Amino acid sequence: MLIHHLRVLPLLVRMHVRSQMEYCGAFWLDRLAQILSYGSVFATIGILLARFDTLGGWTWPELALLFSFQLLAYSLGAAMSFVQLRDLEELVRLGTFDTLLVKPFSPWAYLVFSGLNIGYTGHVILAVALMGWAVLSVDFVWSVWSASFLIAALISATLLTAALITMIGATALIWVRSNHLFSIFFGFWDLTRYPLNIFPGGIQTILITAVPLALTSSVPVGALLGKPIPSLGDWAGLASLVAGPIWVLIAIVHWRYATGKYQGAGG
Amino acid sequence: MSAYFAFARSSFHSQLAYRNEVWANIFGKLVQVFARVAIWQAAYAGVSAIVVDGVSLQQMVTYALLGGAVLGATRPERIIGEIGRSLKTGDIAVWLLKPLSYPLYLFANECGSFGYRLMTQVIPTIAFTALFYGMLPPASLFDGLMFIAFWALSFTLLFLMSALFGLVAFWLMTSFSLDWILGALLQLFSGLLIPFWFFPEPLATIARHLPFAWVVYYPNAVYLGRLSTADVWLHFGLGLAWAALFLTGVLWLWRCASGRITVQGG
Repeated sequence: MLIHHLRVLPLLVRMHVRSQMEYCGAFWLDRLAQILSYGSVFATIGILLARFDTLGGWTWPELALLFSFQLLAYSLGAAMSFVQLRDLEELVRLGTFDTLLVKPFSPWAYLVFSGLNIGYTGHVILAVALMGWAVLSVDFVWSVWSASFLIAALISATLLTAALITMIGATALIWVRSNHLFSIFFGFWDLTRYPLNIFPGGIQTILITAVPLALTSSVPVGALLGKPIPSLGDWAGLASLVAGPIWVLIAIVHWRYATGKYQGAGG
Repeated sequence: MSAYFAFARSSFHSQLAYRNEVWANIFGKLVQVFARVAIWQAAYAGVSAIVVDGVSLQQMVTYALLGGAVLGATRPERIIGEIGRSLKTGDIAVWLLKPLSYPLYLFANECGSFGYRLMTQVIPTIAFTALFYGMLPPASLFDGLMFIAFWALSFTLLFLMSALFGLVAFWLMTSFSLDWILGALLQLFSGLLIPFWFFPEPLATIARHLPFAWVVYYPNAVYLGRLSTADVWLHFGLGLAWAALFLTGVLWLWRCASGRITVQGG
């Protein structure tokens, strides 16, 4: 079964990528627009720091590292999940999800890999370029250990992002509608490009527990740079590394529970 | 006119139908506004001051509340997305058969949607956060009244800009990038997060003259009494001129676009 899945997955990805690249000009125009959009968010933070020097004790290059880490982790995780799981609501509403259940293939794997989103290329280009600049500009002595931690934390943050989006999407199997939960997700996600310590205690707690998006940005980057992390303190580094795998397990349980509860809403 | 009123009412009711979404939107809006205030509190704490460039922290908190809740209630992506969807599905052709104006329909639809967001997001968010943070009243009665006029102008301008960007989709055959480009321009040049008095020169001068400034910056500056009476009238007039220019652009583009419609649907 696993070998069968592994053989089919690259075919699903190749088919979807070819369909997305059919209008090549439009594809790259869209990516350029996204780079401009996130670039303007980054420029806004730059203007703020140009006048106020620091934000919550973080300097401009440190915030650039935070911003690029947050954007890269999100784009890698969301490429594997967001559009696919956002569209699940519509599949449930129309009854199309039933056709996935009768395929001799994991519905989750089919959804994710048949819709693998290369549209996040613009995010990745901007984030990698910015991270390269930030890594060289930040006042920090890099070592093999710190570089390894950065990569491991990035993988964990990517897994965490994909797990949370999967859980939100899977909720549509129970509630029929779940896309409004994405507005809460993105409301909190917008906050994670700023240091955790500047927010009120209630928001800090939510960002570490119920919507643990701080673990995809300021907690790992803060732990790396030796910044004080609210609530987690010295455990911030470890929490950043284990958060991704733990939330993947929770997402698997939630997906199984939701598919077990699914009764179909289409005609 | 009753047809457009019906469109506005329908848009209002259709969004009110899903209660979970109403609560999620209120919660999301509250989080955003709390975050904006937290950013300014942290910025002022960083320089250990309660007044920076003649602007007090309380004024900046008020600016953040107004910018986030009141002026952030219009959704350009919804307008551009609506045009993009109609273009993609071929529904746009149906509008040529109806004795109705498509741009006016879009405006009526957005008015209904704005009414929904006003009732379910703006008023609850402002009421709650004002109690929490102690929002400043308008600098004077005149500034308060003119803020309402600027708010209406801001809504109209943002609608016209969005419609203009959306109609360009007739030539590009995609609305996705247009939505993101307008969002980028608004993020940087509307003053949504950072008012222009904190911008470095000459960027501040450029930003003050761009039409995006009338979306957030000028209404907020009027509310806080940062403009003299003469400047308020001058900038209101300039804002109306921008709106007239965009209106002409929308009507002209719609006329050109109507001749380009190619229905690919079944």
